[in-house]
Amino acid sequence: MIEIKAIHKAFGKNEVLKGVDVKVNKGEVVVILGPSGSGKTTLLRCINFLEKADDGELTIGETNIKFKHAAKKDILKVRRQTAMVFQTYNLFNNKTALENVMEGLITARNVPRNEAEKLSLKMLDKVGLSDKYNAYPNQLSGGQQQRVGIARALALNPEVILFDEPTSALDPELVGEVLTVMKNVAKEGMTMIVVTHEMSFANEIASRVIFMDGGVVVEEGTPHEIFNHPKEERTKLFLRRIVPDWNYVI
Amino acid sequence: MSSMFSWDFAIGHFPELLKVVPVTLLIAVVSMLLGLVFGLLIALCRIYRVPVLNKLAALYVSFIRGTPMLVQLYVFLYGVPALLEALNNKWGWNLSSDNISPLIFALTAYTINSAAYQSEVVRAALNAIDMSQMEAAYSVGMTTTQSIIRIILPQALVVALPNLANIFIGLIKATSLAFAVKVIDIMAVAKIVSAEGYRFMEMYLGAAIIYWVICFALERLFAVMEKKLRRYESKMV
Repeated sequence: MIEIKAIHKAFGKNEVLKGVDVKVNKGEVVVILGPSGSGKTTLLRCINFLEKADDGELTIGETNIKFKHAAKKDILKVRRQTAMVFQTYNLFNNKTALENVMEGLITARNVPRNEAEKLSLKMLDKVGLSDKYNAYPNQLSGGQQQRVGIARALALNPEVILFDEPTSALDPELVGEVLTVMKNVAKEGMTMIVVTHEMSFANEIASRVIFMDGGVVVEEGTPHEIFNHPKEERTKLFLRRIVPDWNYVI
Repeated sequence: MSSMFSWDFAIGHFPELLKVVPVTLLIAVVSMLLGLVFGLLIALCRIYRVPVLNKLAALYVSFIRGTPMLVQLYVFLYGVPALLEALNNKWGWNLSSDNISPLIFALTAYTINSAAYQSEVVRAALNAIDMSQMEAAYSVGMTTTQSIIRIILPQALVVALPNLANIFIGLIKATSLAFAVKVIDIMAVAKIVSAEGYRFMEMYLGAAIIYWVICFALERLFAVMEKKLRRYESKMV
């Protein structure tokens, strides 16, 4: 269970998060939608303290932390309960695919090497890349790199996986393969918070959709509620503009 | 015939030059390695803006880069005994620099020198690594230290390698000044032998050849190292 209460974050004079509350239950897939600058990526990055929020509190599982003056060891604790999949994949360039997946286990979680290797190979298999275990990131396509990134996150068995626009940097052909992997991850019961523009993915997989704009949550509900019966004007405006891949079910 | 080049002399005394090659190599290798360790520490102080140390490091690097090696050696040679005397007078110690071998003087001076240059190279290399690598390391739960050692440093060292190779080759040649602190290295032997035999060109040509062979070998070595370490990088061409 992940809960964020009253999170505030400003970059200089620019207030990006103006008091947001989010609650994610175990096994839920929460998709966050919104225009650029709405704060959705900042929100995600505040969860694992890649950005330091100014105010508010975070609860993950048993751990509760106030964002203001968060202690180093608490930050480390949260980072070891979460995993992130980045828009730019961010694989460790000096390590092979297998080593990428193993790295967090060995270094941050003190898993013995051969155990980590076995687990990592299993994860690479899960994302369909067992034959590429020895390849370096620069030898992999974008979609393959992202799938390794997902395998890396899965191997850590976190409380929640944070997806920061995982398919935004991929060309359309490769988007599908990554979304398929993400759907499988969701089906296996992993708690996921996904920031994305892929509407049909959200519609298919999300337990809940949150629409953010201007640093606040404008509306939230099930995919059906948000996509078919949006209540707020801003939500309607946003959806009207970004529905190229929408499938209408009559 | 006698005032032109004497092959006999040159070849006859060449082994004497070869005998002190280990001294040259020792100074260069030790100074380089120690300089790398200190250079890394200094670079980290600069990057993380450690209070006090940051400014001190900047000052020290500026001084080393702003003064000729020969001047630094002389400052060391005459400065250390003076410093020890001052300390002896102030605190009643009985330190003497007479027992310190010239080699130690040289090693210290060259280490201090190379550390300054290497710190700049390492600093640039660390900054060249994309922040996203650090973020990925953080996201899997690594501490800053772990991230730097496991992810950033290996990549930074590859970026730094051409520059470090340059510094090392420069260091080999800079050791030619070590005779200023009374170390018997290649140049010292060349000077001594040529002065005794009144044959200068022969010895200095020999010295030049030795330096060139060493540097050439190092060039090749570093080229191979670079090729091997760059295997995971995307190629520009």
